[in-house]
This record gives sequence, C-alpha cells and structure tokens, in this order.
Amino acid sequence: MDQNTDKVADRRNFIKLAGATAAGAGATVATAGAVAAKPAEARPADAMYQETDHVKRYYELAR
Amino acid sequence: MADRQLEGVEPLAQEDALRAQLYRLLANGLSAPPRAVDLANYAALNGDATPLGQALATFARIAVGTPVETAKREYHDLFIGLGRGELVPYGSYYLTGFLQEKPLARLRQDLTQLGVRRSAATSDPEDHVAAILAAFSGLIDGSFGAPLGLDEQKVFYIKHIQSWMPVFFRDLEAAEVSVFYAALGSVGRVFLEIEDRAFEMV
Repeated sequence: MDQNTDKVADRRNFIKLAGATAAGAGATVATAGAVAAKPAEARPADAMYQETDHVKRYYELAR
Repeated sequence: MADRQLEGVEPLAQEDALRAQLYRLLANGLSAPPRAVDLANYAALNGDATPLGQALATFARIAVGTPVETAKREYHDLFIGLGRGELVPYGSYYLTGFLQEKPLARLRQDLTQLGVRRSAATSDPEDHVAAILAAFSGLIDGSFGAPLGLDEQKVFYIKHIQSWMPVFFRDLEAAEVSVFYAALGSVGRVFLEIEDRAFEMV
C-alpha cells in the first residue's frame, strides 16, 4: 500500500475521531448567517473584516 | 498565486471543508462582537462527547445566556479596553512583544505569495488573530483560488498559527473579564490541539 495514501487516511480518521467533523457540521450552521467570506469570492479576511474599535486601538499601540 | 490552477483539483474532502468552517467560526467570533443573529447561530451549535464537541456545546450553552450587550462589553474589555484591553490579539505582539514587527512582514509576504490580498475596506493589520484565521479558512476551502495542498497548509500553519495562537487561546480561556470569550477560547485551544496532531501526520 502506498505509504502516502496511508498517511492521508490516518490523518482523515484522526480528525474524524477527534470530533472535528461532527463539530464542523454544527459550525456550518453557525456561520451560515454570518458575514463570512464565501468560497469563490476571492477576498481574504476582508468581507467580514471591517474597521472597528480594535483597529483604532492598534494604531494607538503602534505609535 | 491567486491564479492557482483550478482545473484538475479534487473536490474538497469532507474533513477539510469542516476544518475550514471551524476556522471561520473562530474568525467570525473574534473579528467583532456578535450580533443577535450570531449569538442565535452559536446557540444552535452542538457537539458530541469528544473534547471539541464538549467545548462547542459549552460555547453554545453560554451563547444562549449571553445578551448582545454583555458580549459587546466583554469584547471591548478584552481587546480594546481603556487604551489597552486585557489581550493584544496580534501575532507580532505575541511573538515579539511589539506590534508590526517581523512576523507581520513575513505574514504579509506569505499572503501575497498565496494570492491573498487585504481588502481596501480595512486598514487592519493582517496579523490580527481573526484575519489570520479567516485567511487560513479561505486557503483551506479554496476561497482564494484552488484549495491549498496539505503540505503548504502545514507550512503556513506552523509559521503563522501554531507559533502563537495556542498561547492566545489559553490566554482567552483564562481572561478575567470573559465568560463568552473564554468558552470560545476553549473551542480554539481544543481545535488547534487536533490540528497540531493532524499536521504531524502530513
């Protein structure tokens, strides 16, 4: 058996056993209504990432 | 680059799609105080008996009992505060003790190389915890072109996430002014523990 394929399967099984898949299914619901960047909108942190108070604070600290 | 080949790309594996969702959940939670609709969505989360499932269930339970105003105040006290909140959620600060140091420059360089650009709508530095989590989420699920392969994901993860975020999430869990965000911190900590081990298998 291809060692690489084994590793991929190991990793996949590990993530499933760790609960990330069950949990992730819920997270899908939780982010559905949020302003998350949707796949295919080639924009990064931006859509959801507005200038807010922490930005103002950042520049205060950066002085 | 942004024009990573889209053809011949395998469909995103289920676990990777769900990892992207968890990163996005954390990014949304940390980018700004939740609106009522966000809290309602968090309240609908549930989890199985795994540590991650339990952390999510606890977060959901706390979201049910958290008014928007309370979450807003917690966010302010944690990240904004009077001149300085309890936590400074930037990679550069965690890694060097100062803002806008080399880790930010390295992150910018890597994001540019991966075709991820900061929006014109924000002047926010890219190493804010929510910005990094949102960027990584998009790199995993292909929001910025083809999904990033696991080898490249691992490089990004080690440099920009594993290098400081586990400490950040532990700080968040322990923060004195936070109940809602402490619960979100647990979700982040437990999830990154899974990611740590999963990337060891790559």
